[in-house]
Amino acid sequence: MTATRRNLEGNEACALGAIRAGCRFFAGYPITPSSEVAEVMARELPKVGGTFIQMEDEIASMGAVIGASMGGVKAMTATSGPGFSLKQENLGYACGSEIPCVVVNVMRGGPSTGMPTRPAQGDIMQTRWGTHGDHAIIVLAPASVSEAYSETIRAVELSETLRVPVVVLLDEVIGHLTETVDLAAVPEAPEVWRKFAQGPADAFEPYAVTEDLVPPMAYPGDGYRAHCTGLTHAPGGFPTQVPAVAAAAVQRTTDKLTLHRDRIESWRVQDVDDADLLICAIGISARAARQAVRDLRAEGVKVGLFRPVTLWPFPEDALRALVAKSGTQTVLVPEMNQGQLALEVERVLAGQARVQGLFKIDGQAITPDEIAEAAKEALA
Amino acid sequence: MVSMEIRFSGSGGQGLLLSARILAAALTAQGRNVAQSNAYEPVSRGGLSRSDLVISDGEADFPLARRLDYMLVLDEAAAGASVPLLTPQSLVLCDAERVQTVPQGAFRTLSLPFTETARGLGNPRVTNIVALGALSALGQVCAPEPLLDSVLAMTPSKLARLNRDAFAAGLQMGETEPA
Repeated sequence: MTATRRNLEGNEACALGAIRAGCRFFAGYPITPSSEVAEVMARELPKVGGTFIQMEDEIASMGAVIGASMGGVKAMTATSGPGFSLKQENLGYACGSEIPCVVVNVMRGGPSTGMPTRPAQGDIMQTRWGTHGDHAIIVLAPASVSEAYSETIRAVELSETLRVPVVVLLDEVIGHLTETVDLAAVPEAPEVWRKFAQGPADAFEPYAVTEDLVPPMAYPGDGYRAHCTGLTHAPGGFPTQVPAVAAAAVQRTTDKLTLHRDRIESWRVQDVDDADLLICAIGISARAARQAVRDLRAEGVKVGLFRPVTLWPFPEDALRALVAKSGTQTVLVPEMNQGQLALEVERVLAGQARVQGLFKIDGQAITPDEIAEAAKEALA
Repeated sequence: MVSMEIRFSGSGGQGLLLSARILAAALTAQGRNVAQSNAYEPVSRGGLSRSDLVISDGEADFPLARRLDYMLVLDEAAAGASVPLLTPQSLVLCDAERVQTVPQGAFRTLSLPFTETARGLGNPRVTNIVALGALSALGQVCAPEPLLDSVLAMTPSKLARLNRDAFAAGLQMGETEPA
């Protein structure tokens, strides 16, 4: 036992993780069940020289975060479904103009204002396709308080180094859950920053095509000319509709994530090698699945768990390889919506295994017993 | 592995979440892992309110309550809500004054004068601390000394004497209850 062990709430862990990773700007419009992220940021950011602004609305919060990041500061906001919907236009701007930023989205019942204090997992597809057009985005889905801390750190780092918005996607249960965590378990590491422009200012292009596909960013005041727009732009930063240039610009932002997939993708497995049935789940549903796997294994039922920690881009090769290796015939997908993760698992497996859903939309978490029962039925 | 599950239930404003936090802190200090989840209604006072602790060695697989070992019921609003989670090993402690419909079933239930005792000490707001004392005496949850330390560390120092008295009264109440 160490002195760094403490009881921490999931939302609080997101805030502390962001600060640990060097986030020094938060703009937000408090919304249940994410408000504690803003509360902790309001309390803690001034202590480290950071800035907290309670904005007039969700849209402005996202705008302020983009502005802060363009100003050379690591920036984050937090929200829930209704607010996440409002943020989509600006989030798209951040995707298109490759502005590093982190958005914590704590899922509650939907659609619309739905059930503010009840959990859901209905934003799985929205985090990937909420904003219009082809775009690159990363979504991380912690399933515990300690992971809310470590994955928010990773969110800041991925966002910075890949110049891409990163969503930290929690459900209400994980956001409001308090767990004993050891913050010192995350090893000390040098702070990670985006690549800033270097060398001759005349030759600088704000969207230069580099080997790693991540253009260096101008730090304000360093003398590099920067032009930023939501319009499709050429490497020089100005709008273009020249077909080949426009296509290459959009293609580079998505190729960028493909190129760095090994660093982005993360998943956890439990008892998968000999599994007759595999469960695929995120967040609180994955915690229920973890218990269900333990309970079923105790009864001699061979089940395993595949848990994507990186939800988008979905770790598809890992899942395919796992199903091929174990010979699993059935994949059970428990989720608190009408079937979103199941769609992606179906796409990935494309007939390699049967995909069975366990969907719940009543504002209650899926229980281990419900998953165990569904697993047994699917195996019968 | 999960070793113990405890539910603090009643009506909003009774200090249920705080009681759970106090016990959680005491157990964490002893090296246990605790998961706390809360449920309450969107009102400033009243409404069904509860806080659950799932205590384990290492991180719990599932952090929400499944089978309660101990349940505290401080208000009628929470009397019937949790019966499906009780087992023959469960111990249910009800407030004698505010719980009229004492949960019935194959589990042990005690009705104890938490509110009355707190009022006798001069402030019904320490009902939750009286109940924590009784829980410490009656259950294999947490030894009294570290729990009291946690009570005093997490409540205002100007109320230290009142909380100390409330905890002692609860402890005595539990110790004198026939096993």
